[in-house]
Amino acid sequence: MLVVSLAPAADAAKYAADLGRGTLMRFATIALAVARKDLMSEWRTRELVPALAQFVVLALVIANFGFQFDSRNAPAIAPGVLWMALVFAGLVAFGRAFAAEREQSSLDAMLLTPASPAAIFTGKALAAGLLLVVCEAVLLPALALFFNVPLSFAVVSAVLLATVGMAVLGCLFAAMVARVRARELLLPLLTLPLWIPFIVVGGQAVQAAMGGGGGGASQATGLLIDLDILFVVLTSLTARFVLDD
Amino acid sequence: MTDKRLETAAVGAVALMLVAAGFIFLYAPTDALQGPVQRIFYLHVSSAIAAYGCFAVVLLGGIVYLWKENATADRLARAGAVVGLVFTTVTLVMGMIWAKPIWGTFWTWDARLTSTLVLWIIYAGYLMVRRLAEPGRQAARFAAVVGIFGFIDVPVVHFSVTWWRTQHPGPVVINDALPPQMLVAFFITMASTLFLAAVMIAIRYRIELLTDQAAERVVPAQVVAHGEVGTAR
Repeated sequence: MLVVSLAPAADAAKYAADLGRGTLMRFATIALAVARKDLMSEWRTRELVPALAQFVVLALVIANFGFQFDSRNAPAIAPGVLWMALVFAGLVAFGRAFAAEREQSSLDAMLLTPASPAAIFTGKALAAGLLLVVCEAVLLPALALFFNVPLSFAVVSAVLLATVGMAVLGCLFAAMVARVRARELLLPLLTLPLWIPFIVVGGQAVQAAMGGGGGGASQATGLLIDLDILFVVLTSLTARFVLDD
Repeated sequence: MTDKRLETAAVGAVALMLVAAGFIFLYAPTDALQGPVQRIFYLHVSSAIAAYGCFAVVLLGGIVYLWKENATADRLARAGAVVGLVFTTVTLVMGMIWAKPIWGTFWTWDARLTSTLVLWIIYAGYLMVRRLAEPGRQAARFAAVVGIFGFIDVPVVHFSVTWWRTQHPGPVVINDALPPQMLVAFFITMASTLFLAAVMIAIRYRIELLTDQAAERVVPAQVVAHGEVGTAR
């Protein structure tokens, strides 16, 4: 398992170095190799995605009992349920992103390769974000089906844009807590408050799209892109201090 | 700073706060609409500004630490986080006491109240990272990263009253909405509170320094006792 998870990253680093291509190409090659490794590992075990899919459906069932849904209040409540389910699914997904690496100490080995920590981190975030997107592909249709709310382009784009920022931030803190005690405790404590901007803006966009009031879906999209850029830039500046401690 | 100097500074800070209290309760006029409860404003706003200042210390300390690995910067950041959390708590509690008679409720999910609560949670998380990470380089680095991300919330809190339609009163000082006597009381309270915050950071810094020095002395003793060098993680 250790060999399987390490080989692509090491090969990619050597391959890129041998060819002597630009730094950016090397970065992209390594990031894609790490992401591919994570996705391949998930494809072989099929642990996380089915569990997450079950988790979000369960969240909908519990929301149904908690809120007393009917056809009138569904548009007002469904956006909240969507973000609640998404946020907690995200916590589980990003927490798992570094769990396998930690269990096999393969992260340290990856960091010993010439691959830059930022590229490794980008790959991990890419894979974890994609897994969350797969989980959203279950959550959104399930929400539309069970709560009878429209599933428009605006809803999907808001959720996907929020996923980008949530993934970089979630992975950064997941990488951090993987190295400390009481990590299950710390990950939500650090991540949830910093995800709030995405939930505020994304929540507004989804509410507007589902007809529960609130306006300015296009403004919200712009803000989400701004937030994504801000968090991607900040994460790219700080990731190496977290990984390479 | 020596302990003697810190003691003098602490006494000075308490004296200044008493002077500020004199201005708040004896000099400033009673608000015509809100009555005596308006006097909460002076310390409430000053504590909020002091908290911003403390979190700026955390941010700058974190950046300098990541850049230069400077232990002093990290200790300052640690001190700033604790003191900033204290002032955020004061701001929140005093605001709630004011809100009960004026709004009829201790809490409302207003943008400024919510973002201030989030600020409190973020820096509580900062202290949690410090406690759970391996002391030394790892704790300092991780905390610095949390401090940099956490500071994003400070401008959100500050501009929340202009960005969103909120129930919280907007800026009154810079908008020239206060009578001169209230303005004098406010500036004296703010100066005293900022001085108090600075003294608290200095004292906390001293404590962190002594703790670090004590830890440096204890670790070699443990290594000798167990006959091994502790492996990381």
